[in-house]
This record gives sequence, structure tokens and C-alpha cells, in this order.
Amino acid sequence: MLGRWIRFFIAIAFGTAAGVGYGWLVAPPPSDEHQASNLRIDYQSDVVLMIAEAYAADQNLAAAIARLSFLKTSQPTEIIQQAVNFGERYGYSDGDLQKMRALLAAVETLTPLIGTRVP
Amino acid sequence: MNERRGSLYLLTGLVLGLAIGLVYSLLIQPVQYTDLSPALLSPADKDQYRALIAVAYLANRDLVRARARLALLKDEDTYGTLAAQAQRWLAEGKSAEEARALGLLAADLAQAQATLLAPTVATAAPFTQPPVSTVLPSPSPATTLPPAATLSSSSATLTAPQLTSTRQMSFVLRKRETVCDPALGKGLIIVYVWDAQGNELPGVEIVVNWEGGENRFFTGLKPELGLGYADFAMQEGVVYSVRLASGSEPVFNLTAPTCTAANGETFLGVWILEFLQE
Repeated sequence: MLGRWIRFFIAIAFGTAAGVGYGWLVAPPPSDEHQASNLRIDYQSDVVLMIAEAYAADQNLAAAIARLSFLKTSQPTEIIQQAVNFGERYGYSDGDLQKMRALLAAVETLTPLIGTRVP
Repeated sequence: MNERRGSLYLLTGLVLGLAIGLVYSLLIQPVQYTDLSPALLSPADKDQYRALIAVAYLANRDLVRARARLALLKDEDTYGTLAAQAQRWLAEGKSAEEARALGLLAADLAQAQATLLAPTVATAAPFTQPPVSTVLPSPSPATTLPPAATLSSSSATLTAPQLTSTRQMSFVLRKRETVCDPALGKGLIIVYVWDAQGNELPGVEIVVNWEGGENRFFTGLKPELGLGYADFAMQEGVVYSVRLASGSEPVFNLTAPTCTAANGETFLGVWILEFLQE
């Protein structure tokens, strides 16, 4: 009787392994669900740099913030700060860092307004 | 009977385990992708990434950097993809500025490629030879690139921010004619724009008006037809006027001309307008 229970649980274990293998390896989420928020940090930093470059030219903060939403972050300042830190560590040029810091400063001025509820 | 019951409990265990495994791997702990490269993004996010590259290029005019960024997306036909996206974004009513940036980047990439492979193609564009039949060479396959961080730090020569090369320019109409040649297209307004040196000018915004409507399009969105080329499809019987947004005299009373083929069949001809920078 005990042997039957052991075999029963072994069968469950085999089934579970097969189910997990199918879900993780055979049928992973389609590429349509690959979002920019999952980009590697160097690519995310380059995205921030692109946005900072555009902002340096047009000074359009609304457009910059809208573009930052591409990275699907709830805190734009955090993602810019992360990019600045990355740039400092990996030797971005002074001009690039300056643009990102300028964007960071501009977004920080708006931070108190972001999240303010309208009555 | 006992033997059949014995194998049945094993099957039950297997099915139960399979259900547990599927629920766990698909619902409770599904696969999550991290540290993606841009090439693995969804098509919609790739479009957005491409648009960001274009607006950054519009700001810094650093073609080397833009090309390196585009290579990360691993598009098979880089400037074809850019040009197609520019047209699609215009058609979908998305940011005209981004659409123009996409078109301009496509055109500049094509021009750079033409200069690299055949200098005479890029410097040509004589006024007596419309570039309709010009076919630019295909881009070479993207090569392996270093990470974005390396690329970003390598370029220290940023030019002063410049939103557009065509702003504050004025143009004169050099030619206005109808052509009955089905090979050119049917019912089109074809616009060519050249700068004062005779080079085709991409990224020039063209405004077309008709009674109760207006649309805008740009040169350079079809680099295979010429960097200064743009076209617009007319509706039969509608009267259009065309001008360049950066400054030109308007061209009035454009209606799709009716042409007759050799076999007696009628079709809509095209208007060809050529603008030259003053």
C-alpha cells in the first residue's frame, strides 16, 4: 500500500516537471510582450541619453516626460539618475552626462507636481 | 481488474502533476525576460525605440551614433524600415515631428550609404535629370556592435542642437508640369526639392490643401526614389494647392489630369512640381 502512494507521488512529480518545463521552455510569453522596461541597464541608459539629447535641443519637457514613459517607470527621476550613475561609471562623455543631468534637473522640478491629485 | 486500477492511479498522479506544473509555470511564476537587447523588443516598442533614435539624431545630427543605435534593432532593411515607419506614423496621426525625424534619418542614411559606395550618386541630382529612376544601393548587413554604453561614450563631437535644416528656407517653383506616364504612378502630386547647390533635400515638409482638408508630407520618405522626392495621392475631381511649409509660393489649381493610353484606356496622370532653394 505504501509503495502505491510512493509511486503516486512520483507520478505527480513527473507531471509537475513536465508542466513546468512546458510553461517555461516550450510556451514562454510571445515577443509581443517584450517591453522596454526589461532592457538591459546600458540600453536603458542609452534610451535616457536619447531623450536627453532631444530635450537639450527642443527644451520640450512635456515631450521628454512622455518619452520617458517608454521605459514604463513610475519614477522618471529614478531612471534618469540610474542612467547618470551608469554613464559616470562607464565613461560617458561630459557632454552626454551634462545633457542627462539637465534633464534630471528639469524633471525634478516637476516631481512635486507629479502625483498631485486634483480634487 | 486490479492491474487496470494500478495503472490508473499512476495516470491520475501524472495528470494532477501536469496541471500543477502548468498553473505554476504559466500563472504563478511565468517566464519574465530581463536584460533584453533592443532587437528582442516587441514590434511596438521597437517602433518607439526607432523614433527615439530619430529625434536624438534630429537634435545632434550624429549619424555614426544613430547608425550604431539602429544596428542594435537588427532590422534587415534599416532605412526602408525607417521610411515605412515615418509614413505609417504620419498616416496614423502620430507626432509629425517624430515622423519627420524618421524620414530625415532614413534619407541621411541613404545619402551616406550612397556617398560611401558611389560618390557620384550622392552629389548628382542635376535638374535636367529627375531622380525618379534612381535606385540607391541596399544597406550592408549590420555588423556586431559593442554595447550601447560604449557607443554612447565614444562620441564626443556633438554639434550644436539644430531642429531642422530646412527652417527659414525659402524656395521657388522651378517646374510645374503634368506627365502621362503610368510608370511614374497614377493620380500623384510628385514634388522634388533641391537646395541651392543642386543637392536633393530630404526632410522638407510639404503642405497640401483642398476644400475642407489639409495634409502634410515630407521629402525623403522614399529614399529609393530620391532624397528630395515626395508624393501625394490625389482624388479625382478634387482641386489641390501645394506649398512648402518652410516657405514657398503656393501652387494652385492642381487636379488629377486625365490621360489616354495607346490602347485608348484612360488613367490619371501625375503633377510634377520642382522646388529650388533660393
